[in-house]
Amino acid sequence: VQGWRVAAAVAWSVLLLPVCTAGYIVLSGLDPFHPVRWISSSFNDLYTSYVIFCVLFMSMVTIIISIFNVEFYAVVPSIPCSRLALIGKIVHPQQVIHSVVHAVLGMLVAWCATVMTKGKFQFLAVSCTPSESPDDAAPQTCLNEYHLFFLLSGAFLGYSYSLFYLINNMNYLPFPIIQQYKYLRFRRSLPLLIKHSCVESLYFVRNFCVAYYFFGYIPKVWISTTMDLHIDSKLHPLDTLTGLLDLSLFYHTWLCGVFLLMTWYIAWLLFKIFATETHHFPVQPTFAEETDQCLPKILSSNPPLIIKFLALQDLMLLSQYSPVRRQEVFSLSQPGGHPHNWTAISRECLSLLSDLTQRLIAQQEAAAANGRAKQPVGEMKVPPQAPGAVGTEDKSFQSQRSNVVLRTSMSSLVKPSLVPVKTSPGADVRSPFSSPAVNGKTGVADANSPWHGPAQSPHVMRRAPKLWTSVSDQQVNGSHHEPLPVFSAAKPGSEAVQPRFIYTWLQNKQEQIKNFLSKRALIMYFFSKHPEASIQAVFSDAQMHIWALEGLSHLVAASFTEDHFGVVQTTLPAILNTLLTLQEVVDRHFKLPHVSSKPPRISGSLVDTSYKTLRFALRASLKTALYRITTVFGQHLNAVQVSTEHKKRLQQFLEYKE
Amino acid sequence: GCTIRAFAWHPHTNKFAVALLDDSIRVYNSNSATVPSLKHRLQRNVAAMAWKPLCASILAVACQSCVLVWHLDPTSLSTRPSSGCAQVLSHPGHSPVTSLAWAPSGERLLSASPVDTAMLVWDVSTENCVQLQWFGGGGVTFLAWSPDGSKVLAATPCSVFRVWEAQMWTCERWPTLRGRCQTGCWSPDGSRLLFTVLGESVIYSLSFSEYRGEMQGQVGGSKTASIVADLSETTFETLHGEERIGGEVHSMVWDPTGERLAVILRGHPDSPGSQTVVAVFRTWNSPVFELLPWSVLGG
Repeated sequence: VQGWRVAAAVAWSVLLLPVCTAGYIVLSGLDPFHPVRWISSSFNDLYTSYVIFCVLFMSMVTIIISIFNVEFYAVVPSIPCSRLALIGKIVHPQQVIHSVVHAVLGMLVAWCATVMTKGKFQFLAVSCTPSESPDDAAPQTCLNEYHLFFLLSGAFLGYSYSLFYLINNMNYLPFPIIQQYKYLRFRRSLPLLIKHSCVESLYFVRNFCVAYYFFGYIPKVWISTTMDLHIDSKLHPLDTLTGLLDLSLFYHTWLCGVFLLMTWYIAWLLFKIFATETHHFPVQPTFAEETDQCLPKILSSNPPLIIKFLALQDLMLLSQYSPVRRQEVFSLSQPGGHPHNWTAISRECLSLLSDLTQRLIAQQEAAAANGRAKQPVGEMKVPPQAPGAVGTEDKSFQSQRSNVVLRTSMSSLVKPSLVPVKTSPGADVRSPFSSPAVNGKTGVADANSPWHGPAQSPHVMRRAPKLWTSVSDQQVNGSHHEPLPVFSAAKPGSEAVQPRFIYTWLQNKQEQIKNFLSKRALIMYFFSKHPEASIQAVFSDAQMHIWALEGLSHLVAASFTEDHFGVVQTTLPAILNTLLTLQEVVDRHFKLPHVSSKPPRISGSLVDTSYKTLRFALRASLKTALYRITTVFGQHLNAVQVSTEHKKRLQQFLEYKE
Repeated sequence: GCTIRAFAWHPHTNKFAVALLDDSIRVYNSNSATVPSLKHRLQRNVAAMAWKPLCASILAVACQSCVLVWHLDPTSLSTRPSSGCAQVLSHPGHSPVTSLAWAPSGERLLSASPVDTAMLVWDVSTENCVQLQWFGGGGVTFLAWSPDGSKVLAATPCSVFRVWEAQMWTCERWPTLRGRCQTGCWSPDGSRLLFTVLGESVIYSLSFSEYRGEMQGQVGGSKTASIVADLSETTFETLHGEERIGGEVHSMVWDPTGERLAVILRGHPDSPGSQTVVAVFRTWNSPVFELLPWSVLGG
């Protein structure tokens, strides 16, 4: 299903290209004093062969950009939690390829733009202005600095676009809060896109001018020596202030930037709109070959994440709007009379929710186990790139309310780190709940490096709690408040291995190194973990859970009147248990510092930052889901078998006291 | 000159909120003696309030420059909840906000302003909004969401109103004969819309095809609206003498079970003796729509 969507998105963006090109040509020939001549010459230009050639060339560029969009998209944003992680993301080879290719493509687009603009930008080498000295008889070819400026600006724009793409998490596909037809969505976003391109182009061109001012001579000299061109001494060189203050140059460069950014943003926008469109998954397969595509099957297998997202979104929509499909969900199979559809769907939703519960419990245990009261969730955080790892580890804890189990396991976790100070970025991910046996490998990815409070506010730093505690630290309370970059969690528990002499000596050495490094502000600057970012990272895939909650609660509410076979009633206790437990855990999680503070909202930006506030949406939809079930069932809920604690909470919900 | 600006009953419990002229809101609860008073520096010129359905106490308030969403603690005994409990939802160009409607499933909030041609659909917890813009009519003055969640009535200051379907957000345009749509209300199953027009004292009814679920993108309204009740002024002989009742409709509300319709009739300002009354009608929606006058509450 994705293939068709991508192809459609690419086709549309290519189709819109001539429109943009025409707009560019008209605007680049801007001649306010001779409007008629301007319009007519622009229209004449639209039909010339080189414009057609440029359009074709640009379509190829757009296709390549779209391929990159497709390769890089993610429905779960990867949030770098510390500055080092951010740097790591930037220098990651994938990202480097992305930037290089974008820079090259930017240069190509700029070249097309110069071809279309004509005039002084068109050729790299032009004949020099004839000099007055009599001994220079033959005209020589000179470097057309304007052309070079244009090409380099294109490359710089391409690179900046790629960098912004990375930093703003533009590969994240946000799903819209309301469903709309694609055309309407596109039309709605278009003015914002145009405005954003103009402003960003201004910003990039300004940066480029500064860069060219300082470094412009390098490519100039290089090209002129390799291509044996001369620098025209008659014209002002462009890497001076007077050269750069040329208004027409600035205008044309800015326009080229707008054109480039607009075409690329349109391709990105179209891809986003097409990819996040709802897809209709059949609940009951009518044909045998469709069995793999039907909703219960997709939910229970492990499809690529975007398919799972689309399936859950479809579940949410069908549960609200489609009585016919709801009937299919509640139906029994022939001839066995088993509610396969409902079982598969409810099981998958419940496992997603209990998965989240376990993850949050783990976080809270980690925070509590550190012993400090005001500790943001940190150390044992599993990096967002591998939520599955936590999932598999956490499934080992069978009971839902496994506080006791987790507490003992945390205390018994002995993981001395015998690794030298610098953590290896990209080290394999180890769930912190691996066996408490002593092993020598830290094995935690860079993003897990210990956090401390934000480096910006020194007073926070002073009371920043330590990420882990070690034996010596327990005795020295209050003196070592700085975070330590090396990951080591050594909290000897009851069944800890008897520390041997070597072990204690190494520990002491480690402590000394850590103390030494922690005083180096530069290292802390890089390793400091932003608490807000770590919290967002925990909830980064919460969209799935939100949809699962809504779908499940709508189905349960609808089953009150529509379920003829009673398939939902048997699972009602399990559903209520899961929801109530998750609600308790989420409430407790929100009591941790920083979690309940909202990040500042920037309205009117093209970049979507909805992943930053997913946790609030999760909390709200969880409460609404519970209220939905209690409102529909009312006092009948007292007949459902739940534990006494949960019964009390349900009573609170019934009385609207929650 | 009354001091009450807006009033809202909680959909599930015995609680109501009253917005007063001094820009404060009082929440009265039948179960408790404390009356929390809500004040916020942005809470000025409150035009409408709405409790969030499927929730204990979240109140959305339409203010001069923004929409305030108060998250109150239902069990707290404080009489002055702090301004930190209020979430500010603002959008440039969208002020004053005069009309609010929560989705019956509780997740989305619609806000409308008569000077903004776009309705905003808010996702309150993430504070994201989507603009639904439609030109023609200029602004939105009245919003009503059908109780089954399928359709939304949006009335404009001109003589046209729109009915949106809430799944794919497409709309149908309904020009009226004269005057703007003053108020409207939906039957519980979303199949019938009763509305009135400013300057006329009749109630119109518009029926919609039953919501089948898969009918994406179609509102399904019938071709014309029919008049179901004529509320022009009539004189009644009562024990206390002549009483003149009738006139234009100020607002209308249909009870959630679909059996009672309450209408506020504004008496004629020119003729003496006519007063503002609440007329209650008995209604049936199926199999055929019927409307019978039942009682009149005066004062």
